[in-house]
Amino acid sequence: MFMYITFTETTVQIDLWRDYVLSSSKWIWRIIGILSVAATLLLIAGFAYAVQDINHPQGSKLNLSAPSAKPEGTAPGIIEQKKELKAAVIGDSLAKGTGDSTGSGFARRSVTKLAEATGKKVTLLNNLGINGLTTSGLLPKLREQGTRYVLGEADIILLSIGGNDLFQGADLLSGSQTGTAANDGEAADLDPDELLEALPQAKKQLQQILEQIRKINPGALIIYVGLYNPFGDVKDLKVAGNQAVSEWNSAALTVINKYDNMTLVPTFDLFQHHLNKYLSTDHFHPNDQGYERIAERIVQGML
Amino acid sequence: MINLLPLVKNETIKIIKKKRFYVVLLILVVLVPMFTYAQMRSAERTREKFHGDWRLEVQQQITDNENSLSSDRVPDEWKKFRKIFIQQLQYYLDHDVNPNEPNGVTFTREFLDNSISLFIPLLVMAIASDIVSGERTSGTIKMLLTRPVKRWKVLLSKLIALVMYNSLIVVATVIITYLISGAVFGYKGFTIPVFTGFLIRGSEVDMSAVHAVPQWEYLLMQAGLAWCVSLVVGVLAFMVSVLVRSTAASIVVMMAALIAGSILTNMASAWSSAKYLFMVNLQLTNYLSGTPAPIEGMSLTFSLIVLTVWGAAAIAISFLVFTKRDILN
Amino acid sequence: MSEGSILKSQDDVVLSVEHVKKKIGRKWIIHDVTFDVREGEVFGFLGPNGAGKTTTIRMLVDLIKPTSGTIRVCGYDVNKNQEQALRFVGSIVENPEAYTYLTGWENLEHFARMQRGIDRQRIQEVVDIVRLDQRIHDKVSTYSLGMRQRLGIAQALLGRPKLLILDEPTNGLDPKGIKELRQFIRQLADEGLAVFVSSHLLSEIQLLCDRVAIISKGRVLAVGPVEELVSENALYVIWDLSSVGEGRSLLSRQAGVEVISDAEEVLDDAIIAGMGQEAIVTRMDEQHVASIVRQLVSAGIEVRSVHKINPTLEQLFLKMTEGESID
Repeated sequence: MFMYITFTETTVQIDLWRDYVLSSSKWIWRIIGILSVAATLLLIAGFAYAVQDINHPQGSKLNLSAPSAKPEGTAPGIIEQKKELKAAVIGDSLAKGTGDSTGSGFARRSVTKLAEATGKKVTLLNNLGINGLTTSGLLPKLREQGTRYVLGEADIILLSIGGNDLFQGADLLSGSQTGTAANDGEAADLDPDELLEALPQAKKQLQQILEQIRKINPGALIIYVGLYNPFGDVKDLKVAGNQAVSEWNSAALTVINKYDNMTLVPTFDLFQHHLNKYLSTDHFHPNDQGYERIAERIVQGML
Repeated sequence: MINLLPLVKNETIKIIKKKRFYVVLLILVVLVPMFTYAQMRSAERTREKFHGDWRLEVQQQITDNENSLSSDRVPDEWKKFRKIFIQQLQYYLDHDVNPNEPNGVTFTREFLDNSISLFIPLLVMAIASDIVSGERTSGTIKMLLTRPVKRWKVLLSKLIALVMYNSLIVVATVIITYLISGAVFGYKGFTIPVFTGFLIRGSEVDMSAVHAVPQWEYLLMQAGLAWCVSLVVGVLAFMVSVLVRSTAASIVVMMAALIAGSILTNMASAWSSAKYLFMVNLQLTNYLSGTPAPIEGMSLTFSLIVLTVWGAAAIAISFLVFTKRDILN
Repeated sequence: MSEGSILKSQDDVVLSVEHVKKKIGRKWIIHDVTFDVREGEVFGFLGPNGAGKTTTIRMLVDLIKPTSGTIRVCGYDVNKNQEQALRFVGSIVENPEAYTYLTGWENLEHFARMQRGIDRQRIQEVVDIVRLDQRIHDKVSTYSLGMRQRLGIAQALLGRPKLLILDEPTNGLDPKGIKELRQFIRQLADEGLAVFVSSHLLSEIQLLCDRVAIISKGRVLAVGPVEELVSENALYVIWDLSSVGEGRSLLSRQAGVEVISDAEEVLDDAIIAGMGQEAIVTRMDEQHVASIVRQLVSAGIEVRSVHKINPTLEQLFLKMTEGESID
C-alpha cells in the first residue's frame, strides 16, 4: 500500500515536469517573440531619430549656466592664511617643463618644495603650458571658460611667457614650432635686430596678460617667471639678447609693481654665466638643474 | 502553403535551446564588469589628480591635445581630429556640461561608442554564423529541406530570427551594461545633456547646429545605429554561413573582415577608396558625437548607403545560393 | 480537390521517376533512371556503394535537382512543386539526423510545425508507433543509434505520408533491430504505404521487398519482382557427401546441374572458408534438390549436408552486365 502511494506521487511529479518541458518551447517563443518585436521597434525608432538628428541637426539656444569663476577675496599673505594651497601653471614650454628629463618642470618642482617648506598640502591643479605659446597665443586662451575656471580656482598662479615672442624660431630646436627657419633652425640665424623689433608689441601684450589674470583671480598670488637669455654665449646675439631680455623684464615689472600679490622671479642672472650647466641639449630650455634652480627661486619669493 | 510564423518559431526556439543566446549574454555578463572595473580605476585616478573637479580634467585634456598639435611627429590627420576634439571639449566647458560625468548611463554611452564596430557585431556573429552552417554540420539541413516548405521560406525564417535576436542583443547589451556599471557609478544620468550636431568642415567645427539632448535620447540614437551596424554585419555573417559548411570557418571569415576594418579605420585616410568597404563604415556613432570620419568624404548618408548595398548584396547572394544549391552532403 | 483525380489517372503509382539524369561538374553521376513505386509495396533500390543510390534518393526529396527528367510524387513534380509533392513524402536520407540539443518530442514538434494539420495527438501517435514513449522527453544527445533511427522514422511518418523513403535503414542496427524494422516496414506497406528502401545488400532486399530496381554506375539495370530477378539467376548448392568421387560423377550426370570446379571464382570468400575441403559446388535450380538427394541416398552416398547459397549482388551484376565487372 505504501509503495503504491509513493509510486503514484512520483508519476504525478513526472507528469508535472513533463508539462513544464512541453510548454517550454511555448514560453520561449512568447517571451522572445514579444521582447524582440518590442526591441526591434524601439531600435528602429532610435535609428530613425539618429539619422534625422545627424542629417538635419537643429541648433538650439542652450539655457545652461556658464560656470562662475569664483574669485576668492584673498588678502595679501595668502601663503600663510590658507591651510591648503592650489597652484596652476600657464604659459609656454618652460611652464610645461620641456627639457626636464623628469617632466616635472619648475611647476611640479616648486609645488613640492613649497609643500616641504610650509608643511601644507600643496596641489598642482593644472599645467596649462603649451609648447611654443606666445603672448598673442595666450591672450585668447584667457577668454576661454576652461582656462578662466582653472585660474579662478588657484591660489598660486605661475606664469611663464615671452620667450617665444623674443626668440621666435629658436624654439624650433625643441622640435615644436613650425616656422620659416624650420630647416636650418640654428639659433645663430637670428637677426639681432629682429629681436628688438618684436619687443614693443609683445611688451604690451604681456602687460595685458598680467592684468587679465589679475582680473580673473584678484586674490591669487601671481608669479611671473622672468626671461633669461639663452644666447648669452653666442657672440652676435649676446648683447642684443641681453638688452631685449632686460627690457622685457622691466616692462613686466611695471605692471607687476602695480599689484600687491604679484611678483617677478628673475632668472636672468641664474643663467647668465651658467648656460652650459643649466640649459638642456636644445640649448634653449632649461635642463633638470635649471628647472630646480628656478623652482628654488620661486619658493623663496613666496615665503 | 505553410505560413512563415511557425518556421520563425522553430528557429527562435532552436537558437535558445542551442544556448547560443545564453552564450552571448554570458559574454556580456563576464566582460562588462571588466570594462567597468577598468573604467572605475581610471576614473579614480583622474579624480585623485583633479580633486574631483571635472573642469580641471577637461581643461588639462585640452592643453595636452594642444601640446600635441605643435609636435611634428603627430600626423596631420590626427592633428585635425585633435583640433576638432579640442573645440568640442571647449564647447562643453563653455556650457558647463561634464562630457564624462561618471554614472551608469554615461558609461553605457561610452561603451556603445567603443563597441559598435567590433564588440556588438561579434556578439551577433555568434548567432548569425551558425544559423545555416550549423544545420549543415549536424546534417539536419536534410530534414529541414525535405519538408513541404519552399527553400526561400526556410531561409527567410532564419533571417527573421536573426533580426529578432539582433535587436535582443543590442538591447541586452545596453541593459546589462547599464545595470552592471550602474552598480559602481550609480544609476542616475538619464537627463544629463549631451551635445550633438557638430558639423565638421575641414578641421573646423561648425557649432551653429549643436544642440543638447538628454542622455537617454542620445543612448536611444546610439542603440539604433548599433542595431543597424550589427544587422548588416549579421547579414554578412549569415551569407558566409550559407556559403561555408562549417560554423568555425564562417566565424573566422567574419572576424578577419571586422578586424581588418578596425585596422583600416586607423590608417586608411591615405587610401580613400577604402571607404567603400563595409568594415570602415561601422563607427556610425561618430556622426552623432561629431568625431570626424576616418576617410574624407564619408557622411552618415554615405555610410548607410554603403552598408545597405553590402547588406542587400549579402541577402541576395544568400537566397540565390540557398535556393539553387544541391545538398550533396 | 484535384489530388484525387490525379491519383486516379496515375492509377496506384505513388512515385514515378522518368529518365532522370544528373551531372555534377562535368561528370554524369546518374545516366538514366526510370522506375515507378506503387501503393502498398516495398520497393527495393539495390546497388553497390557509389552506384548513385544516394544521389537518386536526394533527387527524390528535392535535395538535389536533376539535370533532366522528372520525378513525380502523387502526380506532383517534386522539383517544381515541392510544397505539394513533399507533403506525401516522409524520408530518412542517410543517417537519421535530429537536433541533439532538443528532446525527441521537441524535434517532432519542430517538424510538425513545418507541415499543416499535425497536432499533438498525431505526434503522440507516431511516438507510440515507434515505441519511443519512454524516452521521448529526453535530449536526443542521450539516444542510442537505434533510438535515433526510430525517432527518424517517427519524424518521417509525422505527416501521414503516402511514400516513405528510407536510405540504408538497417545501417548500424543489431540483428534484433533489423528484424523489428523489417516487420515494421512490412506492416506499414500492408496499411497501404509505399515504402522505398535502398540497400547494398541483396539478402536484405530479398527479405524485405516486393519489387526491386538494380542500379549500377548511375544506370538502372533491371526493375522487377524480387523473386523473378533472383530466380532468373540459378542458385548455387553446396554438397557435403561421404564419397566425393562418386557423388561428383552422379551430380554431373543430372540434367540442369552444373558442377563448378573453380568455386573461388563465383562464391564469396566467406562461404568458401565455411565449407569443408571436400564440398562440391553446383549451379542448379532449387526444385531439383530433393530428387537428387533421394538418388544419392539410394546410390549409397551419405548426404552430410546440403547448402543453398543465394547469388550475391556481385554475381547478379556479373550476370546482368555480362561479365563486365562492377567497381
